[in-house]
Amino acid sequence: MSKVAGSILLMLLMTMACSCTKSTLVALAPDPDGKVGSITVTNEAGSVAIDTPYQATTISGEKKRPAPPENLGREALHEIFSEALSIQPASPLHFLLYFDKDTELTPDSARLLADILAAVRERGSVDISVVGHTDTRGSKEYNTELSVCRANAVKDELVRQGVASQSIRTTSHGKENPLIPTADNVDEVRNRRVEVHIR
Amino acid sequence: MRMFSAAVQIAALVFTVSPSLGADADHIGIVKTMAGQVVVDRGGRAVDAQLNFRLYQGDVIRTGSNGKAGLILEDDTVISMGNGSTLALRDFAFKPNDRKLSFVARVYQGTVSFISGQIAKLAPSLVHIETPNATVGVRGTHLLVRVD
Repeated sequence: MSKVAGSILLMLLMTMACSCTKSTLVALAPDPDGKVGSITVTNEAGSVAIDTPYQATTISGEKKRPAPPENLGREALHEIFSEALSIQPASPLHFLLYFDKDTELTPDSARLLADILAAVRERGSVDISVVGHTDTRGSKEYNTELSVCRANAVKDELVRQGVASQSIRTTSHGKENPLIPTADNVDEVRNRRVEVHIR
Repeated sequence: MRMFSAAVQIAALVFTVSPSLGADADHIGIVKTMAGQVVVDRGGRAVDAQLNFRLYQGDVIRTGSNGKAGLILEDDTVISMGNGSTLALRDFAFKPNDRKLSFVARVYQGTVSFISGQIAKLAPSLVHIETPNATVGVRGTHLLVRVD
């Protein structure tokens, strides 16, 4: 085969590959807690926003504008995504622990440890995050150190009660991920916490 | 207060003498549920995934024609993949204390469900789900994507 014929064939193959463009369907569903968020589907030809559950847009090419949203309904979407939804893991469990002072848990939070251990066992979880948080009172450095210490104290207690150390990782979000958003330098007892996330 | 500063010193000591926080400390999620064949492409190698398989930024997860998989990421994002699906975890950062947040995933093929997590709550503009034809911006929600 001549070089020219070869490159024509190659070009032909490339054109064919491009012409069978993938079709994409994007749909919105309610969150597990029933709330409905919103999505924006964008490419160079345009953009479509969806904020109604079970609406979907189809995009037939990267240079084709996303189609106007269409309500497919819950049934049809669950049919299309039945395989994926059938394997959907349960959302991670969160426990909030509060402190009296330094690294000492409040009595209520100390009692929660038993529930945490039960949940770890029940889920067979080997991926647990212990995340220290503070309120916005004080410097970033102070709050980071304090939340690291509190997270470590909780991890140590879980390990003492039989959770494998390598299943737990501790991190600190300092004052940057408050449960109750406040201005800087505000005492807020509900933000001084350690969250245990069990996956 | 004294207890606290003593604890800081001990923590500092532990962190200095233990360099073992390496690779394991920065996995971004796990394969929590699966059935059939599930393969993870990482750094040019394909590895068969198992339950609790740890996932890292850059991983590409592929389900076989009989496979499906459920993933949970560190920020509580829950992803599930039907059969014949390919998903790349292109970029993931969940470090609110360093103000580093991002989540970019790409669906190449198949059916994928996303339930967004804390990154979408803290920084919705930094969450993008890419597909071959369009990019999806997400505000705290459950998103379904099919690429034929």
